[in-house]
Amino acid sequence: MLAIFKKEMRGYFQSLLGYLFLAFYFIFLGIFLYSYNLKLEYANVAYAINSVARFFLLLIPMLTMRVFAEERRQKTDQLLLTAPISYSKVVLGKYLALVGVMALAALGTCIYPFILRRYGDTSLKIAFSTLAAFFLLGCTYMAIGMFLSSLTESQVVAAVLTFIVILFTWIVDLLGAMLPTDAKTALLVWSIVAILLGIVLYRLMHSKLVSCISFGVVEAVLLIIYFGKSEMLDGSVGNVFGWFSLLTRFENFKYGLFDPAAFIYYLSMMVLFVFLTIQVLNKRRWSQ
Amino acid sequence: MIEVRDLVKMYGDFQAVDHLSFTLEAGEILGFLGPNGAGKSTTMNMITGYISATEGDVLVDHKSMFDEPEEAKKYIGYLPEIPPVYPDMRVEEYLNFVAELKGIARSERKAEVTRVKEKTSITHMTHKLIKHLSKGYRQRVGLAQALIGNPPVLILDEPTVGLDPGQIIEMRNLIHELSKEHSILISSHILFEVQNICNRVLIINHGKQVALDTPENIIRNLGGTATYAITCRGEKEQVKKVILSVSGVEHVSEPEENDGLLQVDIGYQTGTDIREELFFAFAKAGIPIVESKTREKSLEDIFISLTKEDDHARNL
Repeated sequence: MLAIFKKEMRGYFQSLLGYLFLAFYFIFLGIFLYSYNLKLEYANVAYAINSVARFFLLLIPMLTMRVFAEERRQKTDQLLLTAPISYSKVVLGKYLALVGVMALAALGTCIYPFILRRYGDTSLKIAFSTLAAFFLLGCTYMAIGMFLSSLTESQVVAAVLTFIVILFTWIVDLLGAMLPTDAKTALLVWSIVAILLGIVLYRLMHSKLVSCISFGVVEAVLLIIYFGKSEMLDGSVGNVFGWFSLLTRFENFKYGLFDPAAFIYYLSMMVLFVFLTIQVLNKRRWSQ
Repeated sequence: MIEVRDLVKMYGDFQAVDHLSFTLEAGEILGFLGPNGAGKSTTMNMITGYISATEGDVLVDHKSMFDEPEEAKKYIGYLPEIPPVYPDMRVEEYLNFVAELKGIARSERKAEVTRVKEKTSITHMTHKLIKHLSKGYRQRVGLAQALIGNPPVLILDEPTVGLDPGQIIEMRNLIHELSKEHSILISSHILFEVQNICNRVLIINHGKQVALDTPENIIRNLGGTATYAITCRGEKEQVKKVILSVSGVEHVSEPEENDGLLQVDIGYQTGTDIREELFFAFAKAGIPIVESKTREKSLEDIFISLTKEDDHARNL
């Protein structure tokens, strides 16, 4: 695991990639710090950090697109996957290197609250809890980006997918709020989801039977709920969409609210996507 | 060292490998032959644990590649068809990474990397970026990578593909050298090289085993008769009599006269050698041989006929 971690870290900082990531990050941070904290004289660095978090949309895919896609394209995954180490260690080594780059960005940001403190009263607690949440948000996006990179051989596809998914996590709560909250709409939305699930299963397993049965079961459960206890579906779309809204968890910190649930939420998302990446490697082993 | 049991690989409905079973004994070089798309790489990828099998098992020193992959993988050094090298790394850096990846202790890493570099003669390339290396050197770096940790088994997928003739000879010598310490499974579609360095040869086509034996036996059993053509100065009947007196001769063509010389084709069982006896028989009879050449079937001919027959059978 350490071998892969070190190799990845060297990779980021022997190529321009790691420097580009950090450079863009600090340029954007500088611009926002200047306008919010120096021009507008807010005492809280959280506003600037929050604005920079928006640039993850561009910065994260840049870093994560190559993680597995490139290994696959240049066939070096044959080395990693035939070496006497487990797949989880391969994935963790790579993920920790991504987290390492994120940590460098977060660590560099640590000096700003102290600088601001010299000129007035700022809450270090708010600043650092925001920074911690920001770090976890970045790591969560990275886990998603890494997962998407493991699905394809093409870096471009990986980058575009990551871009779309991050964008989706921004608008997903808006989307949920826009949809009517009645049970009928919920049934419709979940039926579409069930169809998508069936398609994904078919793509993964090439078995019409399995995907049809899965779709049938999900659809049957939905119909039973709809005709039996339709109130269960009320507002369910908005709620479930809300689960994927990564940014709303983050915004609480901006207002000085410390939210431990958000930490747990981010950590669970990371674990989920790291786990899914390992599963993709395992699954590829079966179907390749 | 390696036991392959009833290996099957399905891609959807396409059967890439069809119930393949064989063993790689300690200290032997097993040649793995087949036309492109016969399932050689797929089989090798299954043996090394890169992909899984639909059915069957691979035992590496009695450990199952599918149940205890981390243990089984320790015994194998793998050079895939395309060497798994990172173009942006330097040779030294890359080999150090592989050594660490394979769990070589920090204290031994340097010595191990030096050892494999010397074995593959790439010491003078240590500080070069891999992307600046020629195909031949890249292949050697790939082989050096497989050698790290001194695994008892080497699996080499078409190690000479894309090399120039000089490099092919070097690579072949290297493999021969390595066979003193490792059991080797080497795939190829160039039969000539396998014929020369392998103890046994496994021929597959459409994922199925076609033949598994020593190269000599395959030639003897499947090659049928070979032809030895001689030109001599003598009497037709006497020449025929002399030739037929030699053991191993199966048939003689009617001698043809040409400029006072007799040309005759002698059919004999492939794998046997009638040349010496023939020489002494002619010498005793006082008939001078002025020209002679063997037309033995090579593994190549057999290979073509074997795989063709199979194709033919499939089309029926």
